Amino acid sequence: MTRSRLAVLVSTIVVALGVVAGLGALWLNQARAAVGPLPGEALILPADARFVMGFDVKRFTASPFYARFASERGMQPEALRELEEKTGLNPARDIDQIVIVGTPGVPKGSPGLAMALGRFDLYKIGRTLETEGKANGHNVDGVSVYTFKEEKDGSVALAFLDESALLFGPREKVEAAVSSRTRGEAPLKKNATLMGLVEKVRPGSTFWMVGDQSLLAGMPTSIPAPGGSADGATVSLPALKSLTVTGDLDPQVSLSITGDAADELAAKNLADVVRGFVALMSLQAQQKPELQRLASAVTVATEQNRVLVSARVPYELLDALRPKAKPAEAAPTK
Amino acid sequence: MRDTSRPLPFATGARAVFDLSLEGMVWSRRTLLMGLLIGLPALVAVGYRVVLATQPRAELLPPSDLYAVIVAVYWVRNVLPLAALFFATALVADEVEGKTLTYLVTRPLTRPSIFAGKFVAYVATTISLALPAVVLTFFILMSARGVSFVSPAVPDLLRDLGVTALALVAYGALFALLGVLLKRPVIPGLLFLYGWELLANLPGYLPRVTLTAWLRSLIHHRPAEEGLAGLFQQVLPAGQSLAVLVGVSAVFLAAAAWIFSTREYVLDQ
Repeated sequence: MTRSRLAVLVSTIVVALGVVAGLGALWLNQARAAVGPLPGEALILPADARFVMGFDVKRFTASPFYARFASERGMQPEALRELEEKTGLNPARDIDQIVIVGTPGVPKGSPGLAMALGRFDLYKIGRTLETEGKANGHNVDGVSVYTFKEEKDGSVALAFLDESALLFGPREKVEAAVSSRTRGEAPLKKNATLMGLVEKVRPGSTFWMVGDQSLLAGMPTSIPAPGGSADGATVSLPALKSLTVTGDLDPQVSLSITGDAADELAAKNLADVVRGFVALMSLQAQQKPELQRLASAVTVATEQNRVLVSARVPYELLDALRPKAKPAEAAPTK
Repeated sequence: MRDTSRPLPFATGARAVFDLSLEGMVWSRRTLLMGLLIGLPALVAVGYRVVLATQPRAELLPPSDLYAVIVAVYWVRNVLPLAALFFATALVADEVEGKTLTYLVTRPLTRPSIFAGKFVAYVATTISLALPAVVLTFFILMSARGVSFVSPAVPDLLRDLGVTALALVAYGALFALLGVLLKRPVIPGLLFLYGWELLANLPGYLPRVTLTAWLRSLIHHRPAEEGLAGLFQQVLPAGQSLAVLVGVSAVFLAAAAWIFSTREYVLDQ
């Protein structure tokens, strides 16, 4: 074999090893997930879901975002916060992943139906709930379900599926999911639209969300025109058929939003609207220079009938954009 | 016995030229220089890991973003086209300049087989330089924050390897055509790369007349860009991109082979 052929052979071996290692890692990763990043356990969630959302809690709680903003209300997912309040679970320690689905008929402000995956001491949690009088336990198809005291918008329940999975949400939805699990059904898999979107989600994101047309139907169809005068000029927003959001929080906040519009023209129109707002941000840079950096961090592109928006925002920029804390008022003099 | 009055069959002739060209191409100063240029990101990735290990609080670009910039901006937009320019324009030009073309064309070989052998040797050489660099850079950077971060990005690696190879073939075909057409093809090639290809950043249909817009549409990395590129960046349909790139490569190659077959080269005495 000549030296040249040997060089080409060595190069081929390096590439082949890399590809095999990559495919091996991919295969092992996919073996743990059922559809895209969605774990198999979550397929018992209802088929009429309007959106599915996933949080990699380990990555979320290890991120600089959590360290900075966890204490602030609204910065933590509502379902995670409520689960923590009601059960005493420590998300950073006990939970690996959370999957939340939004279904029709859930009262406004309700956390939706959430499945937490991790390692749970079921005896300890059950005891805490019962001794503190927070919830009453009963059995549904062999699964312990704790119903929390009636709240104004209906009762909320927590089901102990097993030591690695908890289900939390409106009582009737939780019980329906438990029954599906007992029957060996996977209702969520029947929602072909959402599953198609979930399949396309890039695995490994700290958080992700997919929503179909029914979720987006409630969105406004027009918005006030940028810089519009008092005559109430508005900009029409082309309707979206679906929305996919993925993001990471370490070492900076990275967000990727993909919206499927009706056609190529609608996608271009929507992209132009977004670009308009980004340009407006740049114009505000004289008053607030950070806005120029924020505008530079956002990219907008179109791909056939899809609008792709991505943003990468460093934490220093987030800090700079936050309203400054007011200085403490001087104590009144006597 | 072979009929010596007739040239060797196309495949046999092309293979003989491939062997000869590969030996001259792999071990050359041009390959060393291009190898360093193409492999530089792997060294940068090692440096990145060293900095990350020694200064964990250092404010560095996230590894996935750095990889995206390397693939989309460094390789696909700049270095791979440059490598194609310097290798592919020289396929015939070097033989003309070295006055060795006579030795090739007086052998019992058809001219298309000579061109094919040389082009395949170019593809083998440049792919041997580029693909290992992509693989090494990917693994060094993507494992920087833990092995669990590698698997989600593997589809991107496979796509990047394909696009890297396709970029070398497409630009190589174009520059091989320039090489057989022009006596001094490097300057027009550079003008094409850093003049014409900037049309990819304009709105409307203009990006479709560039190679870089089609290639850029095949990769998933979209590093934040400022200026026109940031404002008007278009992602063309992937299937169409693939078809266009394969199509134009075939057309450029066929044209280059035809011109090389029919052109009379006058060597300076």
